[in-house]
Amino acid sequence: MTGIVLFKTALTVYLVCAVVYAASLWVRRVLTARVATWLMLVALVIHTFSFASRWYTNGVSPAVGLHDALSFFAWVMAAAYLALQLKTKTRILGAFVSPVICLMMVVASVELGGAVGAPAALQGSLVMFHVIFSVTGEALFALASCAGLMYLIQDGLIKRKKEGGLIRLLPSLRDLDRINNICLSWGFTLLTFGILAGSGWARIVWGSHWQWDPKQVWTLLAWGLYALLLHQRLVVGWQGRKAALWSLIVLVFLIALLIFRKLFFQTIHSFV
Amino acid sequence: MRLFLIGMSHKTAPIEMRERLQLFCSEGNQPLTELMRLDGIQEALYLATCNRVEIIARAEDDGQAVDVLKSFIFRRGNLSIAEMEKCLYIHRDLEAVRHLFRVTSSLDSMVMGEPQILGQMKEAYRMAIENHATGVFLNRLSHHAFQAAKRVRTETGIAGNAVSVSYAAVELAKKIFGDLKGKTILLIGAGEMSELAARHLLRQGVGKILIANRTYARAETMAAEFQGAPVAFDRFGEVLPEVDIVITSTGAPGYILTAEMVTAVLRRRRNRLLFLIDIAVPRDIEPAAGEIDNVYLYNIDHLQGVVDANKEGRRTEAMKAEAIIAEEVEAFEQWFNALEVVPTIVALREKVEGIVKGELEKSASWLGKLDEEQRNRVEILTTSIMNKILHEPMTGLKEESREKDALPIVAVVRRLFKL
Repeated sequence: MTGIVLFKTALTVYLVCAVVYAASLWVRRVLTARVATWLMLVALVIHTFSFASRWYTNGVSPAVGLHDALSFFAWVMAAAYLALQLKTKTRILGAFVSPVICLMMVVASVELGGAVGAPAALQGSLVMFHVIFSVTGEALFALASCAGLMYLIQDGLIKRKKEGGLIRLLPSLRDLDRINNICLSWGFTLLTFGILAGSGWARIVWGSHWQWDPKQVWTLLAWGLYALLLHQRLVVGWQGRKAALWSLIVLVFLIALLIFRKLFFQTIHSFV
Repeated sequence: MRLFLIGMSHKTAPIEMRERLQLFCSEGNQPLTELMRLDGIQEALYLATCNRVEIIARAEDDGQAVDVLKSFIFRRGNLSIAEMEKCLYIHRDLEAVRHLFRVTSSLDSMVMGEPQILGQMKEAYRMAIENHATGVFLNRLSHHAFQAAKRVRTETGIAGNAVSVSYAAVELAKKIFGDLKGKTILLIGAGEMSELAARHLLRQGVGKILIANRTYARAETMAAEFQGAPVAFDRFGEVLPEVDIVITSTGAPGYILTAEMVTAVLRRRRNRLLFLIDIAVPRDIEPAAGEIDNVYLYNIDHLQGVVDANKEGRRTEAMKAEAIIAEEVEAFEQWFNALEVVPTIVALREKVEGIVKGELEKSASWLGKLDEEQRNRVEILTTSIMNKILHEPMTGLKEESREKDALPIVAVVRRLFKL
């Protein structure tokens, strides 16, 4: 019960935080963004407690099941964003990150209080690693795309010589590019571990590493696209606008594909 | 007030003169001891930045002070008097106070609202204290100036505005590169504007400056000044892959940096961001270069646009700042008047008269028993005692103010008698 109350509190604070961030874009003051950042930190702490309490009362590892996975996704985004905030001066990026977090939390709250015990197929530490790594990886990709979107906006403003407060308010191109880079590299590494753990578990449960399940194909495709993106970044020397643009295109493409898959395909990789 | 301010700044002195000025202020020797030895100078402040040299002094009398200070500047400036006379401005009393407050608040700066001047002023004041060159008056004046500057900075948006072209360039560079530490700039053409921009970038901690100029000797002297490195003009293309910001200001009739060159350079620098600032008229960089990904090209009109975008806001802020200065000048004047000798004497007299009158009234009951003549005698007696007591302090104050600065003693008298 406490877990649910904490979750709902966290959701509310995230929502307020998103509103304050939006307001900071509107009034073009960094001070409001600073308030929003603190709100996000508060929300994150409450959110963390909600996980802890859920883990403690149910004995279930977090991030298994749709509710927890989405909630965990939001948690990772918030935590990663706040951590990056320490390194760079990118306060306003929160205005792009916080709505995504809210969305995840809202969707997660639909499943709130549902299926506490995981199905038999999902019990084991390998599953926990699989889910945590994959969800964290994907959350970081989402963060990379937020930074990418903001990069494109700032790039456009500077290129087209749009004077005024907005250029000053948005973070510098280099900081956004760095966030994009960091999130991509870490997201990719974690997703790789997640896939490996998952395929190891699949071998135990389903008898082979690979089942040509739509969800598996989708994940592998995502992995491949991000591998390509990272390759372009590191080897070909993609930087700045191109990297930002493509990280956004890849994410949109993957989300579209995900919706398409949900609508037209059945998957054995579903436990909700 | 017998306050004099004499100096020259970027507003009054031409470029050549400013170059001399820069030499003059980079020598770093403190002229305060020499100043204090001058005839009739009681207190002095000496402010030298690369855009201005000012002497603020309190003198014994109005007669010769200006001439004494002028000849001091001519001697130090090592320039002909005719040349210098044109560039000097002289302010007295309240005008001097106002000028000093405006300077300290950065309203008179080349880049209005720049924060360095306050620090430089504080340093000048510190030096004056160390050399025992300030007294009651200049101490109070300096603190007032700092207070005015602080008010202008916190109560108006002057400090936050991108007020000049070069400042705008720096702001943009920050929005591209985050902070500018460790970045490399290439100046192509060593004109005054590019020098100014370079100076601003250097203040932001830019790592290295490369200078390419058609006359190599000029590149060398400027490189020495900025601790940068000269580059042969026809070979600037070779250093392009390693620079982050390029500022061009040559007098070339055509483009010296084409879009094609930039594309090639970008490949060699693995698409690292490149900020091109073209302040030459006619332009030095082909406009198409700005279309290339990760290349940001601003020319003088664009930068002017950035500056103009907040011109209106700046004007209202400047008006607010001037109003603050006016208030502070008035406050200082009030303090000063309160310290002047004559008002002090008047106040002292009024106070003692008040006491005598009060005491007489208190004793009205038994004084009433006396007859008319006796009462007059008592009054005459008290008045003459009062006059005798006041005589020495009053003449003393007057003499003091005639001979030298009476402020310290006036301050003491006011404190002792709670005036």
